[in-house]
Amino acid sequence: MSISMALFSPPISSSLQNPTLTPRISLSLLSSTKRFSLLSVTRASSDNGASTPDSAAFSATTVEIPKPVEEVPIKSPAESSSASENGGDETDLPTTTTEIKFQDAKWVNGTWDLKQFEKDGKTDWDSVIVAEAKRRKWLEDNPETTTNAEPVLFDTSIIPWWAWMKRYHLPEAELLNGRAAMIGFFMAYFVDSLTGVGLVDQMGNFFCKTLLFVAVAGVLFIRKNEDLDKLKGLIEETTLYDKQWQAAWKEPESSSSSSSTVSSKK
Amino acid sequence: MATFALKSFTGLRQSSPDQINFVSHVPSSLSRSQRRTSLKVTASRASPKLANRSLRVAVIGGGPAGGAAAETLAQGGIETILIERKMDNCKPCGGAIPLCMVGEFNLPLDIIDRRVTKMKMISPSNIAVDIGRTLKEHEYIGMVRREVLDQYLRERAEKSGATVINGLFLKMDLPEEWDSPYVLHYTEYDGKTGATGQKKTMEVDAVIGADGANSRVAKSIGAGDYDYAIAFQERIRIPDDKMTYYEDLAEMYVGDDVSPDFYGWVFPKCDHVAVGTGTVTHKGDIKKFQLATRNRAKDKILGGKIIRVEAHPIPEHPRPRRLSKRVALVGDAAGYVTKCSGEGIYFAAKSGRMCAEAIVEGSQNGKKMIDESDLRKYLEKWDKTYLPTYRVLDVLQKVFYRSNPAREAFVEMCGDEYVQKMTFDSYLYKRVAPGSPLEDLKLAVNTIGSVFRANALRREIEKLNV
Repeated sequence: MSISMALFSPPISSSLQNPTLTPRISLSLLSSTKRFSLLSVTRASSDNGASTPDSAAFSATTVEIPKPVEEVPIKSPAESSSASENGGDETDLPTTTTEIKFQDAKWVNGTWDLKQFEKDGKTDWDSVIVAEAKRRKWLEDNPETTTNAEPVLFDTSIIPWWAWMKRYHLPEAELLNGRAAMIGFFMAYFVDSLTGVGLVDQMGNFFCKTLLFVAVAGVLFIRKNEDLDKLKGLIEETTLYDKQWQAAWKEPESSSSSSSTVSSKK
Repeated sequence: MATFALKSFTGLRQSSPDQINFVSHVPSSLSRSQRRTSLKVTASRASPKLANRSLRVAVIGGGPAGGAAAETLAQGGIETILIERKMDNCKPCGGAIPLCMVGEFNLPLDIIDRRVTKMKMISPSNIAVDIGRTLKEHEYIGMVRREVLDQYLRERAEKSGATVINGLFLKMDLPEEWDSPYVLHYTEYDGKTGATGQKKTMEVDAVIGADGANSRVAKSIGAGDYDYAIAFQERIRIPDDKMTYYEDLAEMYVGDDVSPDFYGWVFPKCDHVAVGTGTVTHKGDIKKFQLATRNRAKDKILGGKIIRVEAHPIPEHPRPRRLSKRVALVGDAAGYVTKCSGEGIYFAAKSGRMCAEAIVEGSQNGKKMIDESDLRKYLEKWDKTYLPTYRVLDVLQKVFYRSNPAREAFVEMCGDEYVQKMTFDSYLYKRVAPGSPLEDLKLAVNTIGSVFRANALRREIEKLNV
């Protein structure tokens, strides 16, 4: 990801994208689009759809961020030039501390303040999960330094297991079970129409049981079209290291096999 | 001597009983049958005794592998020549050695600049986990300066009887007959003839290639190539107050910004820190990754001065052929660097020693000529002892360095005390200690939980991207 480089390069593309936002060119340095939620009409709908409970907290953050950003364009060219000066024997590292930091009203002392996530007297774990996802996305786009003064102490395991289940496992399980049910119904009908063997009798047949197993495994492991190639790559990957070690024990004249074991893992 | 030697060669087409001049009759058929039987471990008793001289072995490369090999060879009564091109070479290396190396190689404690007893692992979202709570009083990871360690091992080899030559190995003539010597071409720098040195040749019976990742010995024997990572490191001198934080602490940063398939590190050295990162798949972006690593550690290395920039290839897996006739590769030249942690010093020294031990044993302390089967014994022993370790680290790298969620899960898991204990046990003592099954089960459940949570958060992030 060249996001860190994007910070230092002039934001020509983003200004072309949003001609109405030219006064906000300094804001557009940040590649995250969430910060435009106050003003960018085009993005507002998707943003608000994903984060309705947090839009209030969000407007708070969008107001806070613009202030430190103004300083960045001025400092960054200076920083990048000093960092790239490797001609001499010694290069000084920038002596200024970080300006851009992840800030949020609910992020207190390196962890999420659960009291602020309460809804009807109980912690709303969904919003905690979403808030942590936003923090991670922010950090992916703007990698931050770690400091000893403000260590990150948040541990995802404080969110109870059923909150994770409810949010992620159950919808996906529903999807996969639905697929399996549809496949199962139509396969049972198809086999019945072809062979006359009813559902109960099909379950007694070994071949049908194998087909059932294949169908379930297929639904579990192949969820997107890309998964098929990914699985093939995975199988090859798991055995590659062993092959590379065993190459020393193969016949010396197999120069073709030695060149095939050199295939680099992408 | 000759008749009993004949019996041990299976598949040999020799039928004539008079074998007094064993050597002159045998060469052509022997080399063919040697090729066929080269994978079977035949006894080395077949090799003839060397008349009034010891076995001559050259060790190319004077790093940990070369130094350890030369010492063991010399102690075993073999005429050893160690060729090293740069005696004061300051290697771009993490410089971490496990505790067992100090004991096994009898290293003096003053070689160790620092004892690291704490490590911090920092996830992509800057969650920091402290590792090292389970270490006992006497346990530590030793940080050494490579130039000091290498020089010490070479001196010990010299004291045991090896000849240390400052020279650059150029190429090697492979022997025509099975018992002809290897002819080494090298440039000797003796300080008198100036910087260019003098071209010389040397005849030896066997060669140990310990000349590192860009091994010329490996090229001479057609050992094949390997995938390698580029490790890039900057040595930074930081102000004293910041240095106290790194007094006995090393840091590891993981994240897509720091490296797509490895980690960034801050390791303390004698009076400065080494900040670096590495990658296999995106070598062109290494400078970017280095900037990102420095950025992540920015507040802690604020006001520092970069005093040196260095880079080096690190092998990712062994070469397809690690030995050929009487030439064996050890250390980085063979590709014995572990995945996941990128540890190479201990394995280099140990493989050098193991290979030398096999030569000493096969030649019966230098009295007989060796052949490929003796060197294969070293390969067998090495693979048997360390392949499980390499495999485990490979699996760890494949599972946990794949993506940011995987790294987050990795860092979360490293906070667990049981994991720390098992990790340090296996790293410091190079043994896979059997843990308790109940704890293993708990660990498995926790791992699945961490991976699930991290992936769930990634899905959430992707939803936000839309």
